[in-house]
Amino acid sequence: MGNTLQVVIIISLTLMVIGLAMVLAMGGFGFTVPPSSVRSLATIFLNTTFNLDTKYRYVSAMSPEAVTAIVWDYRGLDTLFETSVMFIAIVGALAISRGASEKLLKGFSKTRGGMSLIVKTITRIIIVMIASVGLSITLHGHLTPGGGFQGGATIAVAPMLLIITFSIYLFSKMITVSKAVTLRSIGLIGIALSAFIVLIIAILHGDLAYIFQNQPKLYSHYGLPSYAEVMVLGGTLLLFNTFETLAVAFGFTALFILFILPEEVVKDIIKGEE
Amino acid sequence: MMLHYILMALSALLSISVVYLAIVERDLIKAAIFSAVQSALYAFLYYLLMAPDIFLTYIPVGVGLYTALILILIKKTERYEGE
Repeated sequence: MGNTLQVVIIISLTLMVIGLAMVLAMGGFGFTVPPSSVRSLATIFLNTTFNLDTKYRYVSAMSPEAVTAIVWDYRGLDTLFETSVMFIAIVGALAISRGASEKLLKGFSKTRGGMSLIVKTITRIIIVMIASVGLSITLHGHLTPGGGFQGGATIAVAPMLLIITFSIYLFSKMITVSKAVTLRSIGLIGIALSAFIVLIIAILHGDLAYIFQNQPKLYSHYGLPSYAEVMVLGGTLLLFNTFETLAVAFGFTALFILFILPEEVVKDIIKGEE
Repeated sequence: MMLHYILMALSALLSISVVYLAIVERDLIKAAIFSAVQSALYAFLYYLLMAPDIFLTYIPVGVGLYTALILILIKKTERYEGE
Protein backbone atom coordinates (compact mmCIF):
# COMPACT_ATOMS: atom_id res chain seq x y z
CA MET A 1 0.00 0.00 0.00
CA GLY A 2 1.36 3.41 -0.94
CA ASN A 3 2.25 6.03 1.65
CA THR A 4 -0.14 8.58 0.12
CA LEU A 5 -3.09 6.23 0.56
CA GLN A 6 -2.23 5.70 4.22
CA VAL A 7 -1.98 9.49 4.75
CA VAL A 8 -5.38 9.98 3.07
CA ILE A 9 -6.95 7.32 5.32
CA ILE A 10 -5.49 8.90 8.47
CA ILE A 11 -6.56 12.44 7.47
CA SER A 12 -10.13 11.41 6.61
CA LEU A 13 -10.48 9.43 9.85
CA THR A 14 -9.18 12.44 11.83
CA LEU A 15 -11.67 14.76 10.12
CA MET A 16 -14.50 12.33 10.94
CA VAL A 17 -13.41 12.18 14.60
CA ILE A 18 -13.29 15.98 14.87
CA GLY A 19 -16.71 16.33 13.22
CA LEU A 20 -18.39 13.74 15.45
CA ALA A 21 -16.67 15.09 18.57
CA MET A 22 -17.87 18.64 17.83
CA VAL A 23 -21.49 17.53 17.60
CA LEU A 24 -21.24 15.49 20.83
CA ALA A 25 -19.37 18.23 22.70
CA MET A 26 -21.95 20.85 21.72
CA GLY A 27 -24.62 18.59 23.22
CA GLY A 28 -22.49 18.18 26.35
CA PHE A 29 -22.03 21.94 26.81
CA GLY A 30 -25.77 22.53 26.75
CA PHE A 31 -26.40 23.56 23.14
CA THR A 32 -29.24 21.33 22.01
CA VAL A 33 -28.22 19.96 18.63
CA PRO A 34 -31.70 19.89 17.11
CA PRO A 35 -33.14 23.37 17.70
CA SER A 36 -35.70 23.51 20.48
CA SER A 37 -38.50 24.36 18.03
CA VAL A 38 -38.28 20.77 16.74
CA ARG A 39 -38.84 19.38 20.22
CA SER A 40 -42.53 20.37 20.28
CA LEU A 41 -43.11 17.51 17.83
CA ALA A 42 -41.59 15.10 20.36
CA THR A 43 -43.91 16.53 23.02
CA ILE A 44 -46.91 15.78 20.80
CA PHE A 45 -45.81 12.18 20.24
CA LEU A 46 -45.07 11.61 23.92
CA ASN A 47 -48.48 13.02 24.84
CA THR A 48 -50.36 10.83 22.41
CA THR A 49 -48.53 7.47 22.60
CA PHE A 50 -49.96 6.34 25.94
CA ASN A 51 -52.56 8.60 27.46
CA LEU A 52 -55.59 7.45 29.42
CA ASP A 53 -56.92 11.01 29.66
CA THR A 54 -60.34 11.43 28.05
CA LYS A 55 -59.09 14.44 26.09
CA TYR A 56 -56.58 12.22 24.26
CA ARG A 57 -58.77 9.07 24.14
CA TYR A 58 -59.36 9.17 20.37
CA VAL A 59 -55.82 10.29 19.47
CA SER A 60 -53.70 8.04 21.68
CA ALA A 61 -52.04 4.90 20.32
CA MET A 62 -52.19 3.29 23.80
CA SER A 63 -48.71 1.77 23.66
CA PRO A 64 -46.04 2.80 26.20
CA GLU A 65 -43.25 2.42 23.61
CA ALA A 66 -43.20 5.50 21.39
CA VAL A 67 -40.99 4.02 18.64
CA THR A 68 -43.13 0.92 18.09
CA ALA A 69 -46.26 3.07 18.14
CA ILE A 70 -44.81 5.34 15.45
CA VAL A 71 -43.51 2.42 13.37
CA TRP A 72 -46.71 0.35 13.32
CA ASP A 73 -49.48 2.82 14.17
CA TYR A 74 -48.73 6.40 13.11
CA ARG A 75 -46.64 5.31 10.10
CA GLY A 76 -47.95 1.80 9.50
CA LEU A 77 -47.94 2.02 5.70
CA ASP A 78 -44.23 3.01 5.63
CA THR A 79 -43.32 -0.12 7.57
CA LEU A 80 -45.56 -2.27 5.38
CA PHE A 81 -43.70 -1.14 2.27
CA GLU A 82 -40.32 -1.62 3.99
CA THR A 83 -41.35 -5.23 4.65
CA SER A 84 -42.40 -5.61 1.01
CA VAL A 85 -39.00 -4.30 -0.17
CA MET A 86 -37.28 -7.09 1.78
CA PHE A 87 -39.85 -9.55 0.42
CA ILE A 88 -38.96 -8.57 -3.16
CA ALA A 89 -35.22 -8.92 -2.44
CA ILE A 90 -35.75 -12.46 -1.14
CA VAL A 91 -37.96 -13.32 -4.12
CA GLY A 92 -35.05 -12.29 -6.36
CA ALA A 93 -32.59 -14.55 -4.52
CA LEU A 94 -35.06 -17.45 -4.67
CA ALA A 95 -35.64 -16.95 -8.39
CA ILE A 96 -31.90 -17.06 -9.20
CA SER A 97 -31.22 -20.29 -7.31
CA ARG A 98 -34.51 -22.09 -7.84
CA GLY A 99 -34.38 -25.80 -7.14
CA ALA A 100 -30.78 -25.71 -5.90
CA SER A 101 -31.46 -26.83 -2.33
CA GLU A 102 -33.59 -29.80 -3.41
CA LYS A 103 -30.85 -30.93 -5.80
CA LEU A 104 -28.29 -30.65 -2.98
CA LEU A 105 -30.34 -32.86 -0.68
CA LYS A 106 -30.76 -35.57 -3.32
CA GLY A 107 -27.00 -35.99 -3.79
CA PHE A 108 -26.05 -36.65 -0.15
CA SER A 109 -27.81 -39.34 1.82
CA LYS A 110 -25.63 -39.40 4.95
CA THR A 111 -24.72 -36.33 6.97
CA ARG A 112 -21.18 -35.06 6.84
CA GLY A 113 -19.12 -32.05 7.82
CA GLY A 114 -19.71 -29.77 10.77
CA MET A 115 -17.41 -28.63 13.53
CA SER A 116 -16.08 -30.45 16.63
CA LEU A 117 -18.20 -31.76 19.50
CA ILE A 118 -17.29 -28.82 21.78
CA VAL A 119 -18.52 -26.24 19.28
CA LYS A 120 -21.70 -28.23 18.63
CA THR A 121 -22.55 -28.54 22.33
CA ILE A 122 -21.94 -24.84 22.98
CA THR A 123 -24.07 -23.93 19.97
CA ARG A 124 -26.90 -26.12 21.29
CA ILE A 125 -26.88 -24.14 24.54
CA ILE A 126 -26.45 -20.74 22.91
CA ILE A 127 -29.24 -20.99 20.33
CA VAL A 128 -31.80 -21.46 23.13
CA MET A 129 -30.54 -18.23 24.72
CA ILE A 130 -30.58 -16.35 21.42
CA ALA A 131 -34.10 -17.51 20.60
CA SER A 132 -35.46 -16.56 24.03
CA VAL A 133 -33.84 -13.10 23.89
CA GLY A 134 -35.28 -12.58 20.41
CA LEU A 135 -38.75 -13.68 21.52
CA SER A 136 -38.66 -11.39 24.55
CA ILE A 137 -37.59 -8.44 22.35
CA THR A 138 -40.54 -9.20 20.07
CA LEU A 139 -43.26 -9.89 22.61
CA HIS A 140 -42.26 -6.89 24.75
CA GLY A 141 -41.96 -4.72 21.65
CA HIS A 142 -44.90 -2.52 22.64
CA LEU A 143 -43.57 -2.07 26.21
CA THR A 144 -39.79 -1.75 25.95
CA PRO A 145 -37.39 -0.83 23.12
CA GLY A 146 -37.45 -3.44 20.40
CA GLY A 147 -40.02 -4.82 18.03
CA GLY A 148 -40.60 -7.08 15.07
CA PHE A 149 -37.48 -6.42 13.02
CA GLN A 150 -35.11 -6.38 16.00
CA GLY A 151 -36.49 -9.63 17.39
CA GLY A 152 -36.53 -11.29 13.98
CA ALA A 153 -32.93 -10.31 13.24
CA THR A 154 -31.86 -11.64 16.65
CA ILE A 155 -33.63 -14.96 16.07
CA ALA A 156 -32.09 -15.19 12.57
CA VAL A 157 -28.63 -15.47 14.17
CA ALA A 158 -29.59 -18.91 15.59
CA PRO A 159 -30.17 -20.70 12.23
CA MET A 160 -27.00 -19.06 10.91
CA LEU A 161 -24.96 -20.54 13.78
CA LEU A 162 -26.68 -23.91 13.22
CA ILE A 163 -25.80 -23.91 9.51
CA ILE A 164 -22.16 -23.11 10.18
CA THR A 165 -21.57 -25.52 13.09
CA PHE A 166 -23.77 -28.46 12.02
CA SER A 167 -23.25 -28.10 8.24
CA ILE A 168 -25.93 -27.33 5.66
CA TYR A 169 -26.68 -31.04 5.10
CA LEU A 170 -27.87 -31.63 8.65
CA PHE A 171 -29.66 -28.28 8.81
CA SER A 172 -31.58 -29.02 5.61
CA LYS A 173 -33.18 -32.00 7.36
CA MET A 174 -34.77 -29.57 9.85
CA ILE A 175 -35.59 -26.55 7.71
CA THR A 176 -35.52 -26.48 3.92
CA VAL A 177 -35.84 -23.36 1.79
CA SER A 178 -39.46 -24.15 0.94
CA LYS A 179 -40.35 -24.59 4.61
CA ALA A 180 -38.68 -21.29 5.53
CA VAL A 181 -40.45 -19.49 2.69
CA THR A 182 -43.80 -20.98 3.77
CA LEU A 183 -43.32 -19.73 7.34
CA ARG A 184 -42.25 -16.35 5.98
CA SER A 185 -45.41 -16.19 3.83
CA ILE A 186 -47.51 -16.99 6.91
CA GLY A 187 -45.89 -13.97 8.59
CA LEU A 188 -46.62 -11.72 5.59
CA ILE A 189 -50.25 -12.89 5.40
CA GLY A 190 -50.53 -12.19 9.12
CA ILE A 191 -49.21 -8.64 8.62
CA ALA A 192 -51.70 -8.06 5.80
CA LEU A 193 -54.59 -9.42 7.91
CA SER A 194 -53.54 -7.34 10.94
CA ALA A 195 -53.75 -4.21 8.79
CA PHE A 196 -57.40 -5.03 8.02
CA ILE A 197 -58.49 -6.71 11.26
CA VAL A 198 -60.26 -3.69 12.76
CA LEU A 199 -62.02 -3.08 9.43
CA ILE A 200 -63.15 -6.74 9.39
CA ILE A 201 -64.48 -6.45 12.96
CA ALA A 202 -66.32 -3.26 12.05
CA ILE A 203 -67.86 -4.81 8.93
CA LEU A 204 -69.08 -7.77 11.02
CA HIS A 205 -70.85 -5.20 13.21
CA GLY A 206 -72.29 -3.53 10.11
CA ASP A 207 -70.08 -0.44 10.25
CA LEU A 208 -66.88 0.91 8.69
CA ALA A 209 -63.38 1.56 10.04
CA TYR A 210 -60.02 2.78 8.76
CA ILE A 211 -57.25 0.59 7.33
CA PHE A 212 -54.34 0.29 9.82
CA GLN A 213 -56.65 1.40 12.59
CA ASN A 214 -55.54 0.34 16.05
CA GLN A 215 -57.50 2.13 18.75
CA PRO A 216 -61.02 3.60 18.53
CA LYS A 217 -61.07 6.88 16.59
CA LEU A 218 -63.57 9.71 16.62
CA TYR A 219 -65.63 8.49 13.66
CA SER A 220 -65.06 4.77 14.11
CA HIS A 221 -65.50 3.31 17.57
CA TYR A 222 -63.86 -0.03 16.90
CA GLY A 223 -60.44 -1.22 17.97
CA LEU A 224 -58.49 -4.03 19.55
CA PRO A 225 -58.22 -4.08 23.36
CA SER A 226 -55.23 -2.04 24.49
CA TYR A 227 -54.99 -3.72 27.88
CA ALA A 228 -56.49 -6.74 29.64
CA GLU A 229 -56.57 -6.58 33.46
CA VAL A 230 -52.91 -6.02 34.33
CA MET A 231 -51.30 -6.60 30.91
CA VAL A 232 -50.79 -3.87 28.34
CA LEU A 233 -51.49 -5.45 24.94
CA GLY A 234 -51.07 -2.48 22.62
CA GLY A 235 -53.89 -3.50 20.26
CA THR A 236 -52.62 -4.44 16.80
CA LEU A 237 -48.98 -3.66 17.68
CA LEU A 238 -48.49 -7.07 19.32
CA LEU A 239 -49.90 -8.85 16.25
CA PHE A 240 -47.75 -6.81 13.86
CA ASN A 241 -44.60 -7.45 15.92
CA THR A 242 -45.21 -11.21 16.11
CA PHE A 243 -45.85 -11.65 12.38
CA GLU A 244 -42.97 -9.35 11.42
CA THR A 245 -40.66 -11.53 13.50
CA LEU A 246 -41.79 -14.64 11.62
CA ALA A 247 -41.31 -12.91 8.27
CA VAL A 248 -37.85 -11.47 9.07
CA ALA A 249 -36.40 -14.52 10.87
CA PHE A 250 -37.40 -17.06 8.22
CA GLY A 251 -36.62 -14.68 5.36
CA PHE A 252 -33.04 -14.43 6.64
CA THR A 253 -32.95 -18.22 7.16
CA ALA A 254 -33.93 -18.86 3.53
CA LEU A 255 -31.30 -16.38 2.36
CA PHE A 256 -28.56 -18.00 4.46
CA ILE A 257 -29.37 -21.48 3.14
CA LEU A 258 -29.11 -20.13 -0.40
CA PHE A 259 -25.86 -18.26 0.29
CA ILE A 260 -24.07 -21.21 1.81
CA LEU A 261 -24.95 -23.74 -0.93
CA PRO A 262 -21.85 -25.24 -2.60
CA GLU A 263 -20.93 -23.36 -5.75
CA GLU A 264 -20.81 -26.32 -8.13
CA VAL A 265 -24.47 -27.05 -7.37
CA VAL A 266 -25.59 -23.45 -7.86
CA LYS A 267 -23.52 -22.96 -11.03
CA ASP A 268 -25.35 -25.81 -12.77
CA ILE A 269 -28.68 -24.35 -11.75
CA ILE A 270 -27.86 -20.84 -12.99
CA LYS A 271 -26.50 -22.17 -16.30
CA GLY A 272 -29.74 -24.06 -16.91
CA GLU A 273 -30.25 -27.31 -18.80
CA GLU A 274 -30.15 -26.79 -22.54
CA MET B 1 -24.10 12.40 32.95
CA MET B 2 -20.37 13.13 32.66
CA LEU B 3 -19.68 9.36 32.70
CA HIS B 4 -21.85 9.00 29.59
CA TYR B 5 -19.71 11.45 27.67
CA ILE B 6 -16.45 9.87 28.85
CA LEU B 7 -17.65 6.39 27.79
CA MET B 8 -18.85 7.81 24.47
CA ALA B 9 -15.46 9.42 23.82
CA LEU B 10 -13.63 6.21 24.74
CA SER B 11 -15.74 3.95 22.50
CA ALA B 12 -15.57 6.47 19.64
CA LEU B 13 -11.75 6.66 19.86
CA LEU B 14 -11.44 2.86 20.07
CA SER B 15 -13.76 2.41 17.08
CA ILE B 16 -11.64 4.83 15.03
CA SER B 17 -8.48 2.83 15.65
CA VAL B 18 -10.32 -0.42 14.83
CA VAL B 19 -11.61 1.11 11.59
CA TYR B 20 -8.03 2.05 10.66
CA LEU B 21 -6.87 -1.53 11.34
CA ALA B 22 -9.78 -2.95 9.30
CA ILE B 23 -8.87 -0.79 6.30
CA VAL B 24 -5.14 -1.49 6.42
CA GLU B 25 -5.36 -5.26 7.18
CA ARG B 26 -4.40 -7.58 4.29
CA ASP B 27 -5.95 -10.74 5.78
CA LEU B 28 -9.64 -10.28 4.99
CA ILE B 29 -10.86 -12.56 7.81
CA LYS B 30 -9.04 -10.39 10.35
CA ALA B 31 -10.50 -7.31 8.64
CA ALA B 32 -14.03 -8.76 8.98
CA ILE B 33 -13.44 -9.38 12.68
CA PHE B 34 -12.14 -5.81 13.16
CA SER B 35 -15.29 -4.62 11.40
CA ALA B 36 -17.41 -6.65 13.85
CA VAL B 37 -15.57 -5.05 16.80
CA GLN B 38 -16.25 -1.64 15.27
CA SER B 39 -19.96 -2.55 14.94
CA ALA B 40 -20.10 -3.53 18.62
CA LEU B 41 -18.50 -0.23 19.66
CA TYR B 42 -20.90 1.75 17.45
CA ALA B 43 -23.84 -0.16 18.96
CA PHE B 44 -22.58 0.85 22.40
CA LEU B 45 -22.41 4.48 21.18
CA TYR B 46 -26.03 4.30 19.97
CA TYR B 47 -27.06 2.94 23.37
CA LEU B 48 -25.32 5.83 25.14
CA LEU B 49 -26.95 8.31 22.74
CA MET B 50 -30.31 6.97 24.01
CA ALA B 51 -31.36 5.10 20.84
CA PRO B 52 -32.01 1.59 22.25
CA ASP B 53 -34.03 0.52 19.19
CA ILE B 54 -31.06 1.11 16.89
CA PHE B 55 -28.85 -0.66 19.45
CA LEU B 56 -31.04 -3.77 19.32
CA THR B 57 -30.96 -3.78 15.50
CA TYR B 58 -27.24 -3.05 15.27
CA ILE B 59 -26.06 -5.92 17.48
CA PRO B 60 -27.57 -8.87 15.49
CA VAL B 61 -27.19 -7.27 12.06
CA GLY B 62 -23.80 -5.59 12.45
CA VAL B 63 -22.04 -8.20 14.58
CA GLY B 64 -23.86 -11.43 13.66
CA LEU B 65 -25.44 -11.48 10.22
CA TYR B 66 -23.17 -9.03 8.38
CA THR B 67 -19.94 -10.64 9.64
CA ALA B 68 -21.24 -14.11 8.75
CA LEU B 69 -22.14 -12.94 5.25
CA ILE B 70 -18.67 -11.45 4.71
CA LEU B 71 -17.01 -14.64 6.03
CA ILE B 72 -19.07 -16.79 3.63
CA LEU B 73 -18.04 -14.49 0.76
CA ILE B 74 -14.34 -14.72 1.78
CA LYS B 75 -14.58 -18.52 1.91
CA LYS B 76 -15.97 -18.56 -1.63
CA THR B 77 -13.32 -16.19 -3.01
CA GLU B 78 -9.83 -15.37 -1.66
CA ARG B 79 -8.58 -14.85 1.84
CA TYR B 80 -5.66 -12.49 1.17
CA GLU B 81 -5.91 -9.15 -0.56
CA GLY B 82 -3.43 -8.73 -3.44
CA GLU B 83 -1.25 -5.70 -4.10
